[in-house]
Amino acid sequence: MPEFFDNIALGFSVALGMKNLSLCFLGCLIGTLIGVLPGVGPVATISMLLPLTYGGDPIGSLIMLAGIYYGAQYGGSTTAILVNIPGEATSVVTTLDGHQMAKQGRAGAALGMAAIASFFAGTVATLVIAGLAVPLTKFALLFKPADYFALMVLGLMLAVVLARGSIIKAIAMILLGVLMSTIGRDLVTGDERLTFGWNEIDDGIDFAVVAMGVFGFAEILRNLESPEARDVVRQRIGRLLPTAREFAQSIMPIVRGTGLGAFLGLLPGNGAVLAPFASYSIEKKLADDPSRFGRGAIEGVAGPEAANNAGAQTAFIPLLTLGIPPNAVMALMIGAMTIHNLVPGPEILTKQPKLFWGMIASMWLGNLMLLVINLPLVGLWVRLLKVPYRLMFPAIVLFCCIGIYSIGNNPLDVFLTAVFGLVGYILIKLDFEAAPLLLGFVLGRLLEEKLRQAMAISQGSVWTFWDHKIAFGMLTMTGLILIIAALPGTRQRRETTFSD
Amino acid sequence: MATDGPDAPRTARIPRDVVAGMVLLLIAIGAWFGLRDLPAFDKSAIGPGLLPKTVATLIGALGLMILALGLGAGRERLERFSFRGPLFVLGAVGLFAVTIRPLGLVVAGPLAVAFSAFGDRNSRPFEVVVFAIVLSALCILLFKYILRLPIPLAPFYLGY
Repeated sequence: MPEFFDNIALGFSVALGMKNLSLCFLGCLIGTLIGVLPGVGPVATISMLLPLTYGGDPIGSLIMLAGIYYGAQYGGSTTAILVNIPGEATSVVTTLDGHQMAKQGRAGAALGMAAIASFFAGTVATLVIAGLAVPLTKFALLFKPADYFALMVLGLMLAVVLARGSIIKAIAMILLGVLMSTIGRDLVTGDERLTFGWNEIDDGIDFAVVAMGVFGFAEILRNLESPEARDVVRQRIGRLLPTAREFAQSIMPIVRGTGLGAFLGLLPGNGAVLAPFASYSIEKKLADDPSRFGRGAIEGVAGPEAANNAGAQTAFIPLLTLGIPPNAVMALMIGAMTIHNLVPGPEILTKQPKLFWGMIASMWLGNLMLLVINLPLVGLWVRLLKVPYRLMFPAIVLFCCIGIYSIGNNPLDVFLTAVFGLVGYILIKLDFEAAPLLLGFVLGRLLEEKLRQAMAISQGSVWTFWDHKIAFGMLTMTGLILIIAALPGTRQRRETTFSD
Repeated sequence: MATDGPDAPRTARIPRDVVAGMVLLLIAIGAWFGLRDLPAFDKSAIGPGLLPKTVATLIGALGLMILALGLGAGRERLERFSFRGPLFVLGAVGLFAVTIRPLGLVVAGPLAVAFSAFGDRNSRPFEVVVFAIVLSALCILLFKYILRLPIPLAPFYLGY
């Protein structure tokens, strides 16, 4: 165990530096600020704020970016409670009881409990990350290209099964993302692929261009079409500190939610998204009086919020140890790391221990800051919630334009983002989800690279996937998951999990 | 695809998933066309064509499946597309792309904000103009002077 404490100490020595501490604070604050705006989820927030981190050194930039990430998560919960608009899938659950509490004049208690639950979950999740990072990295270093390939296939399949909506459509989106990732010059042979003779896209399409197009711009187009009924709470916010009784009711849900979220977040395919739903249904089943749920039960806020935050943080584990992003936000993190010439994966821990442990220590500090800065600022958030969308979206457009231009100082990128905005809009109309597309796009290049390496090592023999036991196990699991997911019984249960 | 008028039908006649399947099929065919000269195998190793061609084939197959399932009874119809939002919002982004190099952020910023604002039918012209100028000024301060991004400011006047 001494190694564990050495690592943590190293992390805090980095994270507590004046510069990194202020970047962490700034990230949390700005992340919350943008995340609170209704209709702006974490993915949009991060893609919008990405350019803020281009200038700095890698450690500071990633610390700030991580701060933006939990800030956006936290801001999303605030909006869910006060306006009944979930910023993303995972805060849907918080709207159920959180908004009811707000209508009863207990918004303060709901916000306070959400913050406390998130902080507790964040603390535990940080410890889980710190504890699992070293062994998982050692495990990841054993991975051969064939195993990596299989792991990515498994992760993508899990992401499909755990997402909502049609499985066939989600698989199609992943494949489309993979296909898009092959656009440009082939890295091995130098052949142009799918460029249709257009030299400007020889280097391939930047991930941020795709992300901001299909998430940022397409979201704006959707919001413009269906004017939201904004239901900002007019009642008093009430006292922020929950009562002793509310604490007693919430303690066990928080602990259970944290465990659930921390475990599900570890899965390579966005398990975290399930955590709040699972936590909510467990608490409802365990409750003495289930009918209170949906009418302002504080457990319905505390449990899912803890699960959400724990999962959001342990989702860093697949990214930091294996280099595999489990969800769209982590895919953006990969992009941000690439901008700073960092390759996510086991090498981060072995070659850049300062960066790794500094980031982990800053996660905990960020959670602490959110607890301290957010509750006193509730009044400000309420005022922000009243900013009309007609002013918000032009600002988002400008921020995105500046951000994309600054990636490569290339106007063509800006133009391409508009094209992907249109693509995203069409996808929404056809009921395709954008998240699997982005995941496929980010993993596509790595997937092909590992496949080619594996086949080169085995001299073209497919049996290499049989010989590598890790790879074989994971591919078998992928097949099983696909079969189980296709069974009619599972399909029904899946729908009820998400609609509960 | 219906027009934007208030009396236009909310949905088109075609089932949504039939269109979705057809779109995937078209993508698959287009990809095959673009990949036609790339070999799937290169001596004993994998060639540049294998993965994209396989993926394109799978996309086509899934497209057919979605199309077939969409033909079933009681399926959701295709929602109508609106033109106002995409035209102004994406048009604003295009305007930014065209103007940023020659005219700089001083012009491209307010232009993008003002043009995109008309994507909302409730936009108010005076408010939009004021907001576009204030927001651009803030962005110039933040991105140019605080974060020092190398984005052109006013090349025609300042030279950068």
